[in-house]
Amino acid sequence: MSDLLVPAIATILDQQDETPDTRTYRLRFRDDAQAERFDFQPGQFLELSVFGAGEAPFCLASSPTRRGTIEVTVRRTGRVTDALAALGPGDEVGLRGPCGNGFDVTAAEGHDLVFVGGGIGLPPLRGLIWNVLDRREAFGNVTILYGARTPSLLVYKQELHEWGARADVEVRITVDRAEPGWTGTVGMVPVLFDQVDLKPQSSLAYVCGPPIMISFVIQDLLARGFAPERIISTLERMMQCGVGKCNHCCVGSKYLCRDGPVFNFREIREMWE
Amino acid sequence: MEVADCRTIARGDLNAWVTRLLGRAEVIAPVRGQGGDEVFASIAAPEEVLWSFRNPLLPPKHLLLPQTDTLAEFRRVDGHYQVQEPPPPRPKILLNARSCDAVGLAFLAEMHAQDLTDAAVLRRAEALTVVSLACHQPCPLGFCVCCDAGPFLEHDFDLQLTDLGDRFHAEPGTPKGQALLDLAPDLFQVADAAAAEQRFALEQQALASFGKETCHFGAAMRRISTRRVAEDLWEKMSPWCLECGGCNHACPTCYCFSVADRTENGCTTRCRMWDSCQYAEFTLEASGHNPRPKRADRMKRRFYHKVSAQYFQRDGRVGCVGCGRCVQVCMGTTDMPAVVGAIRRGNWVSGRPA
Repeated sequence: MSDLLVPAIATILDQQDETPDTRTYRLRFRDDAQAERFDFQPGQFLELSVFGAGEAPFCLASSPTRRGTIEVTVRRTGRVTDALAALGPGDEVGLRGPCGNGFDVTAAEGHDLVFVGGGIGLPPLRGLIWNVLDRREAFGNVTILYGARTPSLLVYKQELHEWGARADVEVRITVDRAEPGWTGTVGMVPVLFDQVDLKPQSSLAYVCGPPIMISFVIQDLLARGFAPERIISTLERMMQCGVGKCNHCCVGSKYLCRDGPVFNFREIREMWE
Repeated sequence: MEVADCRTIARGDLNAWVTRLLGRAEVIAPVRGQGGDEVFASIAAPEEVLWSFRNPLLPPKHLLLPQTDTLAEFRRVDGHYQVQEPPPPRPKILLNARSCDAVGLAFLAEMHAQDLTDAAVLRRAEALTVVSLACHQPCPLGFCVCCDAGPFLEHDFDLQLTDLGDRFHAEPGTPKGQALLDLAPDLFQVADAAAAEQRFALEQQALASFGKETCHFGAAMRRISTRRVAEDLWEKMSPWCLECGGCNHACPTCYCFSVADRTENGCTTRCRMWDSCQYAEFTLEASGHNPRPKRADRMKRRFYHKVSAQYFQRDGRVGCVGCGRCVQVCMGTTDMPAVVGAIRRGNWVSGRPA
């Protein structure tokens, strides 16, 4: 294969607006053999290039159980994401990866799973959720708790509806601030914990979202009896190479791009720099 | 290295040997640059090579990690991107690298080989033959003896030369180094016992010449690795750092980089470029969040990476070869020996000690 830092070309197949500033892209490697061969763990990420603008890391939002295409959900935040927003179906981008450790799906088998997402934190969980739902019999109860600042900032609205309609999945959604027409729960994500039957002894909790939400949620889960190693989250830092060489994403001696981005709370607690 | 493999070459024959090296590869050596400074540069003739010199201010790390390093070029043809990777590196010989720099290059090659392999860097390392010139005496600011990086080397060189006066002692460390001896069997003689003894005596003399200019890594490492450096020590030191990044750029072992695209005439070139962990934007995220907002945080990071036991375990050595370049370039005196000394003593004395 070519060098560690040289991307392969992929084509944008189609795109879906999630919120006013967030869009999901479906991509496929231009090389068919590579597209079919590409395998990953949910929770891993890609380095996506918009040629001329640069490269940035995005989590794989699709499930490895669905081969051939890859999905990423991107919020416009900076140089690369602005340039990406100007592209559309048929345009080409560069991809490197998969990078990082990903969620350990095998270790999750047989456990009850609680997914706790906030805002743009749902995409890394989405790949894991589809992976779990595609092999539903291997797992215990599946609970999805999701919150965003306002109803229009909820991502994957269609899929949340689809998951909620299933008998074997429990979905609860909340928003910080209601908008006209919203009849659901209002409040921060932890308010949803009282609406479901959490089983701290048998559950694994996957928490992704903005840092402030993660810290509230983790404190709440600990208070409800979750062991630190049963709380699993993803960490982010500024990244350049994604392969543990450039040193931008280090926390102490941990490289978030190689040792992470997935860590359980016991590991997170032991980090320092 | 077996003693039997060692050779000697008369001083008067060095130019003839270098001429043969030039016929085989590009030769980079310390030369007298414009303005009179010693610098590493490609040579065209053997007379340019300096055999006695002050170690150049910039190390030869650019031979493995160019300051701006093209990763690939992307051209759009009929709506489709074509990826063009740079050509493979040409063979190069680095002549008269000091021991510290030879160790620095070996460290960088090792860094890019471990875990995920960075083939571009390793191809360069493979194409490079390092001929080191052992040091008879400590350089004014050097403390290589504290870093297992000199004044003489046991490994990390392809060929090690020692200046014996009227002749040079040459010990091959790898087949690549041996190949340079094989280029000139008529110029090299099997080293006699006198040459071996003289080389050994020079090494002992060099080791004995290191005085107080040492860097007490052990004590600093214990403190850094166990979070026993007082937070306010970094705060006290940080105003002295000017955030120029000079320590990083002049360091033979610093390898942090950033990646950026540049587009010209429809061709996008992607480069990796040296970066500095001391720059405020090194960890700045697109959201505006910066996990190391204070200069003290960044200084702490630099010395954690270089001197902690955690990194020692990972890399097999401290991130320092004792070349003293950071002492030379730092205008704020927050160089390696000064900071390590401050950590060991537990207090910061501003300014260079007399």
